[in-house]
Amino acid sequence: MSEIYEQIATGILEGNVPKIPELVQKALDEGLNANDILNDGLVVGMNEVGNRFKSGAMFIPEVLKSAKAMHAGQELLRSLLAASGAAQTGKIVLGTVQGDLHDIGKNLVGMMCEGAGFEVIDLGFNIEPEKFTEAIKKHQPNIVGMSALLTTTMRAMGYTIKAIEEAGLRDKVKVMVGGAPVDAEFAERIGADGYGHNAVSGAELAKKLVGAA
Amino acid sequence: MTPSGNIPVVMVACKVLQSILEQLLPEERMGYRAVFMDYGLHRVPANMTRELQDTIDGIEDPSLVVMGYGLCGNGLNGIMAGNHTLLIPKVDDCIAILLGSRRIYNREFTAVPGTYYLSKGWLESGSHPLKEYEEYAQKYGEKEAAWIMDQQYKNYERLVLVAHSRSDLEKYRPQALEVANYCEQWNMRYEEILGSDRYVRRLIEVIDDPNEGDEEFIVVPAGGQIRQELFWDFQVVTPQKQPTISGQEKTVRSSA
Repeated sequence: MSEIYEQIATGILEGNVPKIPELVQKALDEGLNANDILNDGLVVGMNEVGNRFKSGAMFIPEVLKSAKAMHAGQELLRSLLAASGAAQTGKIVLGTVQGDLHDIGKNLVGMMCEGAGFEVIDLGFNIEPEKFTEAIKKHQPNIVGMSALLTTTMRAMGYTIKAIEEAGLRDKVKVMVGGAPVDAEFAERIGADGYGHNAVSGAELAKKLVGAA
Repeated sequence: MTPSGNIPVVMVACKVLQSILEQLLPEERMGYRAVFMDYGLHRVPANMTRELQDTIDGIEDPSLVVMGYGLCGNGLNGIMAGNHTLLIPKVDDCIAILLGSRRIYNREFTAVPGTYYLSKGWLESGSHPLKEYEEYAQKYGEKEAAWIMDQQYKNYERLVLVAHSRSDLEKYRPQALEVANYCEQWNMRYEEILGSDRYVRRLIEVIDDPNEGDEEFIVVPAGGQIRQELFWDFQVVTPQKQPTISGQEKTVRSSA
């Protein structure tokens, strides 16, 4: 039984887009639970992708291919996960911060959070602090997630948190941050509630922040 | 050259800056040793930190180690000075060095955040979107390669060739235009900026007296460590509201 999970995780790691839906379907046909297929197969693979990317053993093209495979697997499970009655985990507003247009990582976090049962409101990239505060007022999320790829722009995360504070909204949301130059120390320094070192850990963190993990 | 304290000077720099550094700081005249590191170490910041640390640790005599780098994706964050004194330009990456100052870099960054820079070093090393596409196409096929490129570059708005001399702008223009032609699919416009060797010239001054405080350079004494916050310049990135020409409000960054 664990063999199919391993095959799924390996398929994700290889970015094998046609193979993943086949394997997921096979697992479902074997009577396996959609939630387990997600967490013990797809997510395990994606987590390894994140780790290998961080260590330089995998590069952006491979990560993108893995993400595509992940998406294909998740699509197949989507209706089943929803129908399984799993209550929605929470709501997240996501965005790449002001001055930064790199959104691959942020999109991955969004995908993983959706998989984890969150409603994800993706603001896009180059998002000014005020846009984040407006979105908090409008959508009343549990969590705000910010990403940045550049050292030039990561500091905008701090300004965004400040803007959230000044708008009197800081106690209404948890803030999580991530991106290549970001680390836990930086996250703490700017007053974020947590830091995700890859997309899977971002989704794990989101679950923790809403008390769902 | 006899820098302050008469300690040896060792330059540890990225290959992308090799020509400008060699031109302005020829080894034989300046009497220092230069180590040029591979292009693109910044792509894996953790490896970059390790490789630079090994290089610095490999310098035997206590020296003034001049880093031909910026913070480079936090690749310099955490490097220990050991027995040496480290001198580092206070910039996020090499583009500010090529443009001539951090102030100009910030101005350009604020004007068009989605700018991809080409330079002599990056073009010569084959680090540009067109080359990237060609490599991906060989490995993954054209269709997949196009998709991968699209994911990475679709948000960019501008392609800029930067060089510190007019002759270099002319020399690298044809190659830059080929890249620009490829990048038109994302509506990236092509521009050229004549940079300046000002930053490198300032570096020569500071090498002469590295103990002097300077807002454009960071000095890490022996036993110290490079920390990312040394590169921060809060004035520069404080968002401010300013009216734009069209009268619409837009958040911009003040260039201090």
